[in-house]
Formats: sequence, C-alpha cells, structure tokens
Amino acid sequence: MSLIGPSRHQGSQKAGARRAENNRIYAHPLPLAFHAPDSASALSRLFSLFGVSSTRLDNPHCEGIFDPYTRSVWVVSEKDSTILWRRGFFGKGDLSRSEPSWLARQINARKAAGKYMTSEEIREKRRAERRQFKLDRAAAIARAAAEAEAAFAEGREAAPTGPTLPEAPPDDSDEDSDGEEEEPLENVEHLQLTLQEAWFLVWNLDCLTVLDSQTNQPMTLQQIWRAFQDVHSIPPPQSPTDPQALRFDNPFLIHYAAYHYYRALGWVVKGGIKFCVDFLLYKRGPVFHHAEFAVVVIPVYEDPADQESSPFNLPNSETFSWTWLSTVNRVNSQVQKTLILTYVTIPARSRISPELVSSPACLAHYSVRDVVLRRFIPARMRD
Amino acid sequence: MDDNLETPFAAPKPDAPQEREEDEQSSGDEDQGPDWTKIPGLNVARPVIPKRGEKDFEPIAQGGSGLQRHVLDRSRAAMLEALKATRTISYKSVSHAIWYPELSRAHVTVARGIHFTTMGHSAARPAPVPEEDAKKMQKRLELLPEEALYLVERGAMYCWKPTDEPIHHTAHLDDMGGVPMMVQQAFAEMIGTEDLTLEKYQVYAYLKRLGYVVTRAKPPSSDYPVPPPFPSKARTSTSILARLYNAMASLLARLTRIFSPSFDWWRPIRCSRWLHHNMSNVSLYKSLRFLSSGHHVPLHIQRTPEKPPSQYEIFFHLYKPSTPFKKTAPPPPDFSVVVVNARTSPMPTISELTDLFGQLPELPPPAPRKRVSFAQQKLAAASAASSTPSQAKGPTSTEQSLRTPVTAWLWPPSCFGAAQKSSVQARPPNPFPSLKMGNKIVVIAAVDAGTISFFRFGQGVFTEWPMA
Repeated sequence: MSLIGPSRHQGSQKAGARRAENNRIYAHPLPLAFHAPDSASALSRLFSLFGVSSTRLDNPHCEGIFDPYTRSVWVVSEKDSTILWRRGFFGKGDLSRSEPSWLARQINARKAAGKYMTSEEIREKRRAERRQFKLDRAAAIARAAAEAEAAFAEGREAAPTGPTLPEAPPDDSDEDSDGEEEEPLENVEHLQLTLQEAWFLVWNLDCLTVLDSQTNQPMTLQQIWRAFQDVHSIPPPQSPTDPQALRFDNPFLIHYAAYHYYRALGWVVKGGIKFCVDFLLYKRGPVFHHAEFAVVVIPVYEDPADQESSPFNLPNSETFSWTWLSTVNRVNSQVQKTLILTYVTIPARSRISPELVSSPACLAHYSVRDVVLRRFIPARMRD
Repeated sequence: MDDNLETPFAAPKPDAPQEREEDEQSSGDEDQGPDWTKIPGLNVARPVIPKRGEKDFEPIAQGGSGLQRHVLDRSRAAMLEALKATRTISYKSVSHAIWYPELSRAHVTVARGIHFTTMGHSAARPAPVPEEDAKKMQKRLELLPEEALYLVERGAMYCWKPTDEPIHHTAHLDDMGGVPMMVQQAFAEMIGTEDLTLEKYQVYAYLKRLGYVVTRAKPPSSDYPVPPPFPSKARTSTSILARLYNAMASLLARLTRIFSPSFDWWRPIRCSRWLHHNMSNVSLYKSLRFLSSGHHVPLHIQRTPEKPPSQYEIFFHLYKPSTPFKKTAPPPPDFSVVVVNARTSPMPTISELTDLFGQLPELPPPAPRKRVSFAQQKLAAASAASSTPSQAKGPTSTEQSLRTPVTAWLWPPSCFGAAQKSSVQARPPNPFPSLKMGNKIVVIAAVDAGTISFFRFGQGVFTEWPMA
C-alpha cells in the first residue's frame, strides 16, 4: 500500500523495476476493470462470433458518505479507498499529501528501519536537506565576501564572488526508535472525493454509492444531483422551486463540465491549488510523471444579465487583468507546465429554460473549449 | 532559480557551456542589459569590466563594503561613458524623405541602405507639376508613419517637412524645400496618424530592431501590398476504402441505435456484454465523450451593441528574418500580432479570441523530432557526413491507420488480438508538441508603459488528441 518513494541515487535497474511495479499496480485507468479471458476457448470464440463479449466487468461498488460542510464525499473503508486511488487516482487522503498513506507513515515511524518511505517522508527529508544547505550557503557567502573585502582593502583587484562546484548534501542518518509496545494502530484516515469526482463515479460509471450523513441511507441519483448543487447556495434553498435553486451558473455544474471534458479525453484530473490554477492534468497519473498542463476554468456568461442577478461570485468570471495572467503563467512555467484556459459557456436563462437544471441534461448546453497560453519571446523565435 | 547545490567562493566562476536547451518560457537572456563595453564609438583604451556579476544573496551585516561600492561605480561609469558618446552617420549613407501630414505618409526622395528592401511601398500620386493634359500619375516610394519614425529614430534617415518660410542653404544637404524634423517633432507629428499609437510604435520598433519584417495586416490604402488570403481548410481527400468504411460504420451505428434504448440522461453509459458494448477501456472513454466540446461548437454569447468595437484586431504581420520577403508580393506571415495597452484593456474574451482565430489558418502539427539510433550517431560522427538518413518516426500513413479500424470491425478483438498487434508497428505520433502549440496561433503584445509582454494564444486541440 505504501509508495516506494523515488530517490535520486537509485540506479536505472531499480527505476525500471519500480516502473514495472507501478504499471502493475495502476493498470486500470478507471474503477471499472475489464478482465479479458486469457484462454481463447472454443466456447468464448463461439460467443464472440454471435456478438457476446466474454470479457468480465469488475465493478467494485464503493461506498461514500456525503459531507456538505467540507463539500466532499468521504470514503471510509480502506479497501474502497485503495481501489479508488489505484484505479484512476480519484480522491485525496485527508491526512496525507495525495494517496492515503497515514497508516503506513505511522507504521514506518514505529519500525526501526524504514525501508519504504512514503511521499510525505521524502518531502520532509528533502526540506531538511535544503534548509541545511541554505544555512551553509549563507555562511559561505559571508566568508567569501569577507575574503574579497580583505583583498580589496589591501589594494588587490578582486573579481566578484561566484559559486563553486557542488558539494554532496549532508547525509542524514536514520534515527533509531525504541520499539516500545504501543497500542495497535487504527486507521483514522479517509479518502476525500471532490464533488465533481464523486458525481463522475456515481453518474457515469455507477461504481459509487453515496450515503446521506444524517440518515446513513443511500441517496438516489436525483437527490445527489440536487444536494451537490445546494452546497454552494448559502443559505440553502428552502424548496426545490426556489429560484435560487435552479441556476445554470452553479459552481458545481461549471467545474463538472470542465472535469468531465478532460476525464473523458483520458486525462487524470487533480486539483491545482498549489499552482494558482483549478485543475492539473496528468497523462496517466501523478506517480508516473509530473503534470503537463495546468487548467484555469473561466466561466463565460452568454447573457450578461445572468451575471448581474447571480448569487454566486464565480471566480475568473470577470476578465483577467494582464498582471494576473502574467503571474499565473510565470508560476506555471517555472514548474514546466503549460497553462490552458478552459472557457465554459453558461447557457442563458432566456435561451434555455432553467427547469432543465433539475436533470443532468442541462450539461449538454454548456460548451467547453480550451486555449493554450504561452509566452512568446521574439529574441528566441527568430529562426 | 537557485536549484543547484553550490556554495559560493571568491574566485570567478568559469563560463558554463551554453549547452542546455533553450527553455522557451524563461526570460533569462532577454532581460540582460546591453554589454556597455561593446558599444561602438567608445574609446579603446578603457579597462575591461565583466558583463554582469553574481548577485549577492544577503547584504553584509556591516552595510555596503568598499569592494561592493567600487564594483558598482565601475559598472555605472561604463554605462554613462557609453551613453555620452555622440552617434554619427556618414552623410553618404543617409536617406532623405519628406513628410506630408495631410497624407500621413513620408515620400522618400533619396533611398540608401538595406532598409528599403523590406520597408516602404510604392504609391501612385498625381504629378506635382500639373501639365496641360493633367491626371498624370507618378509612382513614388512612400513610408507609413511607423516606418518613417523608426528610420528617423535610428538616425538612418533625414525627414523634411515642407514649409513656406525662406530656407537657409546648408552644405551637404540637398535643397529639399523644407526644414529637417527633429526626432521629437517626428514623434509628435507621426504618432496619432493612420491608426498609430505609442504602444503600436513601440512594438514595431522592438521587433524591427530584432530583425523581423513587420507589415500591417489591414492595408491603410489600396496601394499597400497584402499577402495572399489564407487558404480555407481544404477537405481531406479520402480514399475510396475510407469512404466505404465510413459509410458502413454509420450504417452499423444506426442499426445498433434502433435496437439499443434511447439516451437516458440519468444513466448515460451502459456496459453490456451483448455486441461488445463498452467492454473495453477505449470504447468506454469514447462513450464518455457525449458532452459538446471543442471550438466548432457555436458560441451563443450575446453581444451588447453599445459596447465599442473590440480592440483585438490583428494589426501586424510578422515575418522571421530567414523568410524570403518580397515587398511587392509578400508571402503568408509567420505570426500575426495584436497590440493592446495592458493597463486599459483586459484580457481578450472568448468571443474576441474566436473572432481572431477565425481569421487565421490552421497550422499542421509540428514535425516530430528526428530520432537517430546510437549506432547511426556514431557512424555520423566518425564519418563526419552531413546528413545520415535518420529513422523517420513520423506519423503513421493513412493506409496504416485505416487498416487497424477495418480489422477491428471485421473480426472481434478478443479472438484476433494478434492481428491487431502486428498492424501497429510504427510509433504513434507524440501528442504533446501539438497539444502545447494548438492549431491556430495569435500573438498578443500587451504594452505596459513601455514594457512589452508577448503572449501566444493557441486554439486548443485536446479533442483531437485523446489520451485514451
């Protein structure tokens, strides 16, 4: 369950084995797994000639609890969390960086030799190394400047300071922890699915059951559809016919339209708050390679009157200023991601009846289009 | 950023070889100032100072030291010395032009130098001396205001303004019948005419100084040469086999739609073993794409008529220095540039972007990088031959891509998986260069009080390169 963390000093042989291991664990891109029969028996061939496929469909039927206060669906069972993470990278462990690895970290902390390091532990190690390096560097700069000062004071012509050849970072020795008998660990972590991920699993793949937090009863699709939109209205609408209840510019609908667009194209879509954007797109998953694209969702109102009467203050709905665009672009180009502006058009209430919002059929009227944004440096583009 | 684990010391750093790939998005080289020691016109006998030192990370606790002050003063002195020198040009290489404010054009009387191979256009004007049978048109070389202003600012051209006052005759200057304009006067007169703003002039001058050829996209008069219009998207010629396959596939789809239930919005995806419906990842992903997306979907955005016309119009056509440019018949441009003032204009809206993209041609996906195997690389290095035939890992040909769907349709995949594997021999094209570029590019220059930021907006092609 725990990740074998990437380390800079591993040989290529270990990297190849790790890659094969990752390919084996994360083989299924969606929670619905298809198992093709290995043996091409005569019976299966007969069936396929008649158009009946002999591939087996494995639906994990996970369960989650809807929590309106955190606007997420909690998957508490460990088995379900593992399946949802390993097949499609859905959700995020609430006590971890991405994959629910809190239990593994606690076990590692108790064991004497931590053979496997989770991603959080790698991150802490890296930060400690860097902090130490920065202290060393500041001291070295001060020393070099003092040397240059002394040389200048004597009248010798000294050149400006510069960095040296790299030193190997200091090696941290693993601390030994005494093996005291402690109480057995209970996994208190759960997997948190965003509303968009949960709706995608419930609606398209039908592999998730959402329970109501108060009654612990499974919610029907219609109830889920209603509830996911109502979390964004503060205060919640009193009745289903409340005009505030039926709006096309509900943030859930807009973000779901963009999420569905990229998921259906095969990308793994995760949150992008770390890089000032809405979504990050991974080709196969976060364990394989860094995200290539950073997506900013820009809602566009077809009718400006809708924007004025809207109770939601949608982010990015006002046109950006160039300074903000430059900021986001620079943040992302520092980490080698390409910025994508995804425009989601919100249908006008005058053109499409708002009654349509009561069913997912309204999603057909949102159009999603993307624009790639990059800097253009004329000095470099001359040839 | 400070990513390399290095500690500093007092000796100078050896020059790192410039081997790293030029990162398109980093602006390191561009932001370095000019090298003040290499400007012509300076005295030769001067101390050579380094181009740029390393910045100290933290100030010294005792405050600015003598060494730091000394280095700073040296660099500043070098810059001031370079700026103090007077710029000269030989009178034999100066061009002359006359500025006509009512036409907002400069008529070039004496053209010298290489500038006029890419600047200026010939315009027909009525002859200055009306003869008996009047109406005789004369063609003469004229410059747009930004072109004239650029040459005047460079010092390569003398611009004259016709005047009625008596003129004092000067040596070396031909009797032009006017007074020479100062650069300040040229700026005052030419900015504001013929749709030229200060921002547009700054972009023009910056690009010209880098070596590009910059022309106007919208011809200001009928004499101005325009490139040929972009060809409309040619219909991809499909072979007979492809058309037959498409017809059969649509017929089959229609038949299956009769037997399968209608699309239910509460249950959009169904996986059933009958007829292999959505029983593999690829087909499941394909059925997931049932929501409308892409740039061909019509935009229903209501436009308010009282808003002023959009500032987002293609203003300049940009040609790279290597493109062969002919003034009278310009080729299709390499880039199309829009110039806006960053402080007063917000970012373009999607309707403005869609309008801009509508005027641009579709670009082909970028060519894949040629991959040479190691053995061939060694051979090339040993023999020092110029071009070794490289393994072309280009996109699969149309026939090969056609064979795969045909085999998939005729034989169920579970039985004859081996046949499919053999047909997918060549490496599929890499989607990322195309995804990062888009298929239509417009360059928008946002000028913020003199600082120009160029952005490339490309029309996304994610729908054409699905990951699954």
